[in-house]
Amino acid sequence: MPLLLLVSTLGLTWGSESPETPADRAQVVHVLNRITFGPRPGDVDMVQKMGLHNYIEQQLHPETIDDSAVEQIVAQFEILQMTPEQLANLYADDLKKILKRAQKNATKQLAANPAGAPPPAAAADMAMQATPPATSAPPATAAPPVDKDKSMMAEGQEKVENPAPELAKLTPAQRLAEASQFRSVAAIGQLEQAKLVRAINSQRQLQEVLADFWNNHFNVDVKKKACRVLKVADDRDVIRPHLWGKFRDLLEADAKSPAMLVYLDNNTNSLARDVGPMEQMAMQQMQDAVAKKMLGDAAPPSEPVDPAKAKTKKMGGINENYAREIMELHTLGVDGGYTQQDVQEVARCFTGWSVDRQTGEFTFRKRQHDDGAKVVLGHNIPAGGGMKDGEMVLDILASSPATAHHIAYQLSQRFVADNPPAALVDRVAGVFTATGGDLRAVTEAILTSPEFVSASSYGNKIKSPLEFTVSAVRASGATIVAQGPPPFDKAQPAIEGGAILGKGADRMSQRPRQSLNFHLYELGEPLFACSPPTGYKEDSSVWVSPGALIERLNFAMALTGQKVSDIRFDSSKVLGNVDVDKPDAVLDQCISVLLPNNVSDSTRKVLQETALPAAGDGQTVNPNKLIALIIGSPEFQRK
Amino acid sequence: MNVNRRIFLKQGALAFAALGAGPSWGPSFLRNTAFAADLGSAKSNKILICIFQRGAVDGLSMVVPYGDPFYYQSRTDISLAAPTQAAGESTVLDLDGYFGFNPALAPLLPLFKQGHLAAIQACGSPNATRSHFESQDLMEAGTDTDRSVADGWLNRLIGCCPEDAAHKTAFRAVSMTSGIPRSLQGEQDSLAIRDLDTFGLAGDTAVPLAGPSGTSHGFESMYGSAVDTVLHGTAKESFDALDMLKSVRNGAYQPGNGAVYPQGNFGRNLKQIAQLIKANVGLQVAFAEIGGWDTHSNQGNGKGQLANNLGGFSKALAALYQDLGDRMADVVVVTMSEFGRTVHQNGNRGTDHGHGTCFFTMGGSIKGGKVYGDWPTLAPDKLFQNRDLAITTDFRDVFAEISAKHFNVPMADMAKMFPRYTIDSKRFRNIYTA
Repeated sequence: MPLLLLVSTLGLTWGSESPETPADRAQVVHVLNRITFGPRPGDVDMVQKMGLHNYIEQQLHPETIDDSAVEQIVAQFEILQMTPEQLANLYADDLKKILKRAQKNATKQLAANPAGAPPPAAAADMAMQATPPATSAPPATAAPPVDKDKSMMAEGQEKVENPAPELAKLTPAQRLAEASQFRSVAAIGQLEQAKLVRAINSQRQLQEVLADFWNNHFNVDVKKKACRVLKVADDRDVIRPHLWGKFRDLLEADAKSPAMLVYLDNNTNSLARDVGPMEQMAMQQMQDAVAKKMLGDAAPPSEPVDPAKAKTKKMGGINENYAREIMELHTLGVDGGYTQQDVQEVARCFTGWSVDRQTGEFTFRKRQHDDGAKVVLGHNIPAGGGMKDGEMVLDILASSPATAHHIAYQLSQRFVADNPPAALVDRVAGVFTATGGDLRAVTEAILTSPEFVSASSYGNKIKSPLEFTVSAVRASGATIVAQGPPPFDKAQPAIEGGAILGKGADRMSQRPRQSLNFHLYELGEPLFACSPPTGYKEDSSVWVSPGALIERLNFAMALTGQKVSDIRFDSSKVLGNVDVDKPDAVLDQCISVLLPNNVSDSTRKVLQETALPAAGDGQTVNPNKLIALIIGSPEFQRK
Repeated sequence: MNVNRRIFLKQGALAFAALGAGPSWGPSFLRNTAFAADLGSAKSNKILICIFQRGAVDGLSMVVPYGDPFYYQSRTDISLAAPTQAAGESTVLDLDGYFGFNPALAPLLPLFKQGHLAAIQACGSPNATRSHFESQDLMEAGTDTDRSVADGWLNRLIGCCPEDAAHKTAFRAVSMTSGIPRSLQGEQDSLAIRDLDTFGLAGDTAVPLAGPSGTSHGFESMYGSAVDTVLHGTAKESFDALDMLKSVRNGAYQPGNGAVYPQGNFGRNLKQIAQLIKANVGLQVAFAEIGGWDTHSNQGNGKGQLANNLGGFSKALAALYQDLGDRMADVVVVTMSEFGRTVHQNGNRGTDHGHGTCFFTMGGSIKGGKVYGDWPTLAPDKLFQNRDLAITTDFRDVFAEISAKHFNVPMADMAKMFPRYTIDSKRFRNIYTA
């Protein structure tokens, strides 16, 4: 399609771009800073040649871009390819391992018979707990009471939160073997590494930026319970496939995402009801069957419900967590006009929206659903609606003008400015409403707006730690090693995941080299591990703090000093063919590659004084030092 | 402006001004004595040291309710004996005729008896989650169930402190951890310093750091002359902090008053907090954490896993107290944990996740020598969900009392500090002298 026709088709109102006068270089750099994770050497020239408008249009249609190289790399992360059921089993397997170890310990205790041995009755009790339920006899008298919460199951559940034992006591080979065992923990490491590989290498850069945005918008913290495995399916099957479609579809996929249901506790959001003895017994038998299926002979015995003795008890109850966050964070926004009453009513609508532990998939539990009539934001939801109640809530929220405004605002923050102009936000909200929440149209509306390319937007945001580190890797032409060779391919993700879960971070800090992923942890942005549901803020001013800045400078030096363990830095990618005996030429070359929008005079002066040898010194430039200084410069912190 | 002149202007410490910061001035003995001794600066900041025992510590084994008959009924193998039982190393150290310290806490007994340390039993968060992560998160956010609170209570505390702005330095809030803990996340800046001795810019032979053409100088100059006011300001604080640190850690730190910290991370963390306090770098809030409390199996009693951990914990705290000496008049230490552990022991001679636990507070202004709180007892009908020690002191009431009395945070700010919870001074346990 002729360029001019393309330009008019896009209805662009800005830019004097034409084949004769390519887009202003500074503008190209700015756009690359915003819709990619930073330009690589040669990117600016490539985009100028192609035409900025064409480039943006192409990025808005990632399906037209070949990304097979990256896809092949990501395909190596085997956990990321697993089905929801396999993922659920992964988690259960780790639980099984922990339980088996607990059983072994209990048996060992019995055998060792230490000083102060427990009374014989207690020993029998412990033996009962250590053997499969089928073979046990009831304990002798005066045994210590069995913990009502099935102590080993409780210990297992809790230990699964943080399974790594004292790695310090093991040999390196044992440590690797041990770390490799906990595959559910490795899921975290694989998730994070794949994200970094994509951010650095994908040709579909805008898609990666949007994946980062929407994963953050629908924040899930992998540290919580089974979220570490559920997030794999969430990123792959919920967020990424819906980046370019309708918001309503993304919202619904997310509302049914097991990761979200567990993270915000909706999987236990249920109608409080009286459960009689027979039903209690049936429930307990079912739970036992599931435990047996998932944990095999590691399944701890449970206290049987005796229908003759058990009393009717109240079970379940409303949990408002998801209801509040879907309105406050995901759709309407904190000022979106909902009340506490609305929160309760929405929570009632979502009762029964839960997760099947065995399949790892969404399931609607009818018996847990509150089927009464409800009123949500002034809309009547009739009784007897079942799952439709929640779907109606999604309709109401997705079509609210407050949602259009909220989404428009946050996307504008990401692409334009921390405090985006109101006129832009209103216009984009209008596009959201007019197109029924078409996310491609909404994104395009921002990227083709005059505000987006206005020079006043250049450099007005601080890069997040992810953006800073990845842009440094990209700008310097460095490469990421996706996975180490065996056995590190199995162990490393588990070690990285373990650090996120709170074990080993200290030890990793002290090592001479850390992974790119661990640097992000130290820079304050552990991937997929933001605790509060707000996610990381789109307002970039939060990333500026004294400690963080020191860490960024350290990263710059680690990168060029080959101390980032999975990044291969090579200054020749930056230097190209420049004559290394000409310091000023080297300086110009490095600046034009790393900071194509140039540096301030004061920064240039400091670089000359600090990084270039004095004239007649007989020394050549230390390119690593120069590049480290540029990456650590004030200009490089901004995008 | 030379950083030391700034300290001089703020604190009027003449000795400091005469000394300056670089290695080229004054004989070294002056520097070392200056930092070991109390400079008696004109205006001492009040300081809070928060210590998080991560993993749900068994408060019942810290401050043992030996006077409660149900205690022994529930724990046949991991209980500690009453003082009258003469059970050797598993006998409690009596505190008040009903409660006794785990003998591993012996180093803290003198502080208790002298009235500088108080315990608050049956303390914690009313929320019933028994997940470590969730509960820690919520406690550090200063809430019981509100998962949308994004910042930490300590961050809000330093934001609410009345005298804050004038005395703000980069060291106002320091955490002895690899990253900023949840408690300190938020708008106000804080520093995460895993190890004071290695914190700062890490150069190497390939990229030399020091000297007039070193990268450190390069970075500092770029930011110093940057027109970017936001980054310029932040960088200035960073480099000032690094500069101040050079003086703080010049030469090996000598704890005062013969204090000896135990080996290991926690001992080092507390020692370095003391070091920062004495260096008068403007520390207001310090945070440290210690793990290993999740004693699901083989908990032990006066000996064993838990006791070992309590031993290191108490030695470090006692050393801190001794080291700081008179400075403790301005310091409050508070220890906390996300929840406690089951009253009954489990089948592995350990305990599982519970509810109420025991917090400590320590300091010159603390009315110590007492076990605070309404003891609900361990009678079966008094247990939380039929299994755990109930809670009769909400953790927020402890935090609020310290905020109000130690830092003069106005009661009007309490709603901001503790969202969706009404702080009423009538609920304060009055652990703090008026």
